[in-house]
Amino acid sequence: MSKHTYAGKAAVVGIGATEFSKNSGRSELQLALEACVAACEDAGVDPKQVNGLSTFTMETNPESEIMRGLGIPELTHFSRIHFGGGAPCATVQYAAMAVASGVADYVLCYRAFNERSGRRFGAGVQDRPAGATSEEAQFAWTSPHGILTPASWVAMFARRMMHEYGVTSEDFGAVAVADRRHAANNPAAHFYEQPITLADHQASRWIVEPLHLLDCCQETDGGQAMLVTTIERARDLKQPAAVVEAAAQGMADDQHMMRSFFRDSIVGLPEMGTCARQIWETSGLSTDDVKTAVLYDHFTPFVLAQLEEFGFCKPGEAKDFIADGGIEIGGRLPVNTHGGQLGEAYIHGMNGIAEGVRQVRGTSVNQVDGAEHVLVTGGTGVPTSALMLGPDR
Amino acid sequence: MSADDFLAQLRAHVGAQGPRHEARHPITGTGIADWCDAIGDTNPLYTDEEAAAKSRHGGIVAPPATLDIWDRPGLPAQARFRPQGLPAADDPRSKVLRMLENAGFVGVVAVNSELEIVRYLRPGDVLTNTQTLEEISEEKQTGLGIGHFVTTRQRYETVDGEHVGDLLFRILKFRPGTGKTAAADPNAKPAPAADPALRPRPAINRVNQALFDGYRAHELRIPKCSECGRLFFPPLPRCSECGSFDIGYAVASGHGTVYSYTVVHYPQVPGFRYPIVTALVELEPIDGQVVRFLADMVGVTPDAVTIGMPVEIEWLDSHPAQVEDATDSRGPISLPQFRPATPTRRAQTLSAAEVSEGERLPIWTLPLSPTHIVAGAIATRDFQDVHHDRDLAHKKGSADIFLNINTSLGYMQRFVTDWTGPEAVVSALRVRLGAPAYPYRPLTFSGSVQSVDAGIGRVVVAVQAVNDLGPHVTGTVELELPT
Ligand SMILES: [Zn+2]
Repeated sequence: MSKHTYAGKAAVVGIGATEFSKNSGRSELQLALEACVAACEDAGVDPKQVNGLSTFTMETNPESEIMRGLGIPELTHFSRIHFGGGAPCATVQYAAMAVASGVADYVLCYRAFNERSGRRFGAGVQDRPAGATSEEAQFAWTSPHGILTPASWVAMFARRMMHEYGVTSEDFGAVAVADRRHAANNPAAHFYEQPITLADHQASRWIVEPLHLLDCCQETDGGQAMLVTTIERARDLKQPAAVVEAAAQGMADDQHMMRSFFRDSIVGLPEMGTCARQIWETSGLSTDDVKTAVLYDHFTPFVLAQLEEFGFCKPGEAKDFIADGGIEIGGRLPVNTHGGQLGEAYIHGMNGIAEGVRQVRGTSVNQVDGAEHVLVTGGTGVPTSALMLGPDR
Repeated sequence: MSADDFLAQLRAHVGAQGPRHEARHPITGTGIADWCDAIGDTNPLYTDEEAAAKSRHGGIVAPPATLDIWDRPGLPAQARFRPQGLPAADDPRSKVLRMLENAGFVGVVAVNSELEIVRYLRPGDVLTNTQTLEEISEEKQTGLGIGHFVTTRQRYETVDGEHVGDLLFRILKFRPGTGKTAAADPNAKPAPAADPALRPRPAINRVNQALFDGYRAHELRIPKCSECGRLFFPPLPRCSECGSFDIGYAVASGHGTVYSYTVVHYPQVPGFRYPIVTALVELEPIDGQVVRFLADMVGVTPDAVTIGMPVEIEWLDSHPAQVEDATDSRGPISLPQFRPATPTRRAQTLSAAEVSEGERLPIWTLPLSPTHIVAGAIATRDFQDVHHDRDLAHKKGSADIFLNINTSLGYMQRFVTDWTGPEAVVSALRVRLGAPAYPYRPLTFSGSVQSVDAGIGRVVVAVQAVNDLGPHVTGTVELELPT
């Protein structure tokens, strides 16, 4: 494996979002367009200059509708990434590859949904038609048994992690406490000024044991977009560039959608390990260079596993790494300074990339001193993606 | 009449002794064998002449839980079958119960049953029993209603006058409709319908068809490469090891151990009873290869499931056919579930020194069917219609037929003596009765050692049998083990 040749040649130059709410009161398409326009305005780029789009396969707003809504005359790149929340950092990776290779000039990465007021992912897959494609048939081993939701899948990994590493529910709770502490400072967060204690976490009801309600991310209506272009163009735009120092996608041996239950060990996230290896090789950085990270937190247990996969601590030691405020502001490695998906909003990880950009720019509500290189990750337990953002020098 | 006067009238019978009642027939080996078959107790000392002859008993004995079944009057005691001219029973309890019924306390529920065994019974013994009315409580408000507890003791002797054991039995006679019910939670949502036909249907296609055909045949098939013999799950059309597209299957025993598990509380969807215990199971090796499989669990409470717990498969015929003869998702569907593995009966009896206080017995889950209930009732010579006639059980306001107490005690005895081994001597079985055990609601037995006196070999095991309605029986089994 060698360094990715597009690395360092592209940057995120604009970020834009709608408000994050429980009921947007408008269409998902409008949310997407509002976020895309905001990202262009942030960068000082006319949306008509955009000629590339990148989003999730789960996105309900097709590129054609975004193109028409933004008045884009011509698209030369449009790509989608599969596997739900595993996609966010890959949208930026595809955009970076497109601009670095000359396929497109400006690429918008976007994700928008009414995930709270519309179709809720937390409701699970019980309402899906029983088609029989190889993708649908994967659910045949779980859905008829009541194992229907992302929480029910992640809980299976979490229980084994507790068994092998001696991790406790309180350790998972430390992640929620950190996220909510950060969200409490963030006016854009749903849980602005609403920190929680470990006792609150422990008292919250069970969703799927060993996961309490406060181990699970929110459900949100909203949209988030990022504008990506080359590093040369970036230098003429309004905002300091957040350079794509490395980006990666990852699947690993015996991968399943979110139910890789059949590997020799189900403790750890080997697909995130695949991303970690590429991120470190391509960026040339090490854990010492990273002062803050945005780690995907749809469910708290996998935040621990990510710290281990990226080498911030040894396997089984994340519970000690996060102890005593280790991932809170002022700690060893502040994580999810926007409040994460537990505290700010659940926009399938795209809002986490925006926070990574803010940390590089120095504009986060919980700015970390000396945060130059910011690690951002995509969904865990699924085929996933990761990103290293840094300043233009 | 005031409640005090009524109580005084009732209590006038306390201490009264009934006539000495003699069994119609001696205990027989056939009767014992029927009981063993119904309870599934394979302890050879009850049925195997040779093994029994070598045991501490020196010959075949009746299981201790059968103490109070042999002198039962049988079917003729049931009102519908009572021969003309046979007078109603005039033992003290029957007299008091008639008084209570005339006063409106027509509801009845058994509360406690305590069997004390002086010596094990043998084929040929002819039993007698003499009843004493021990106690009548004052009027009490209970969850079921306002009523009186009535306690009787039955002394069992052989016709030769040898004391063999005692039964203490307590029932509650109550006025229906006077119960204290917990205030309904105004925010409580009704549970979704639990009919398994409402579960999501699996998507069946050409790749997984053979496995679902196996489900229909109640056979757990694991894909197997016909070329190199590699096992894998879930199915794929190609062996990733040798590249062969020739994929067959091996049949798993369905035994395994829990590798990880969850307890699903939310969201609640139709087709399931919540919370659902789900388990990722390491199946026992097939051709030396270990494969994992997952399913929901039955017969285990969330606090009883552990990683490493032995489990075995059970089949649920969940979905009727939507389209006759369809072999895909529209056809009939059966689903595997896991339940705690049936503990194996210990052949070599534990000594008291090998038992430690707090030690837990392996969990036993009994998938209770109507046959279990009817066979148990008949084998314990209990012909009350609520234990065998569903129509009459419904008429009496019961949701279904339910397990009779003697069968519950029999299962409890088997649960403990399968763990101790055949030569443990049971000196007492004491239970408090709770939720009824209806068919199709698996009954899970758990137990732990409450006390050990290694010097005299005395061990007390606390036992509970629980179904999804709550504790069915809670009690103790007192034993003597070899020292
Ligand atoms: Zn092969």
